[in-house]
Amino acid sequence: MEVFRLADADAVLPRARAGDPAAQEALYRAFEAPVYNLARRICRTTEDAEDVLQETFFEVFRSIGRYRGDGSLWGWVRTIASSKALMRLRRNKYRDTDELQDDIVPLRREDNALRMDLETALERLSGTARAVVWMHDVEGYTHEEIAGMMDRTVSFSKSQLARAHSKLRHWLGSEVTQ
Amino acid sequence: MTHLTMEQLLALREPGLEPGVQGWRDHASACDICHAELHQLDQRVARLRALPTLSPSRNRFAEVQARAQADQWRRRAITFSLGGLALAATVALAVVLLPPSPVGPTVAQLAEQQELEDIISQSQQLEGAIEAYNPDRRVTDGRTATVAATLEDRLARVDQQIQLVDIMDQRVRPQEALRLWRERIGLLNALVDVHVTRAKAVGF
Repeated sequence: MEVFRLADADAVLPRARAGDPAAQEALYRAFEAPVYNLARRICRTTEDAEDVLQETFFEVFRSIGRYRGDGSLWGWVRTIASSKALMRLRRNKYRDTDELQDDIVPLRREDNALRMDLETALERLSGTARAVVWMHDVEGYTHEEIAGMMDRTVSFSKSQLARAHSKLRHWLGSEVTQ
Repeated sequence: MTHLTMEQLLALREPGLEPGVQGWRDHASACDICHAELHQLDQRVARLRALPTLSPSRNRFAEVQARAQADQWRRRAITFSLGGLALAATVALAVVLLPPSPVGPTVAQLAEQQELEDIISQSQQLEGAIEAYNPDRRVTDGRTATVAATLEDRLARVDQQIQLVDIMDQRVRPQEALRLWRERIGLLNALVDVHVTRAKAVGF
């Protein structure tokens, strides 16, 4: 994923560590879109994604003194964002009794149309399956990393990915043959 | 012929060579169906990566910044409190307990002493309630964050004043200490209201 104004973000890091509001805003602007995109792809609603965005940057500003530059700044921010998004999924699981196993989101009205594009298919996956697909296939996390963040096993992550792809293949396959 | 499962196809895309993967790779090369499936899988992942980047519909930086500032104030206040408030509480009690009169404390002084002890104890309980709620780990809307920041700002100032009580004129020390600790209780109560009321509203 492209990181916008990454050079700017790295340049303002020392001032952001000192609590300079302008530097913090520069960091926010640099990573706002990729963080939100990750959150929105994992979370069910825009409201959840916006909350994850807020929580992520609050944590970034709070913990920035502990970032030592071992990896890329985006990698560090992304890990915080992923954790926050997964926490949100977990919280919603308890709140909405949404099973995080292999359930399928019920068809929404627009799904009744014959056409199903990739975005719609992705949204139909369960929260956990969608998170695994996005984190593995798009963000490039390994199964070991995903398992660690989800507090599950590597086999669980692999299994979720395989089941999710089977579903995507099924749903998107019908679109391809039309 | 048994074709590759989705899990096996996905394993072919992983770095490294797990047991059995070479055999699956050989099969995928020889089998048109599995080869096509693998190609379709590659295409699907490529399409996922090509999905447009979604952007938030509104700017939330002000909210994040307000919350970060509130947190900064709160941490400063706590650091300040840890270093000085325990001492300040002792000093406050001491100035009430040690009256200038050689004949011992008056009834009014004893009442002040009791009130101060109660207030300091109440203050510790309220701080405990805020710590237990753990506002750092919660999502806060901008308005709540701003109100909390203002209260924490005032709290930090009161704490500074409390620590200066012991250098005041001896005649006004007890009353001033009581006034400041009462103000501190008021601010802490307001902070608890802001955090806990909101927590209840969103169902935590």
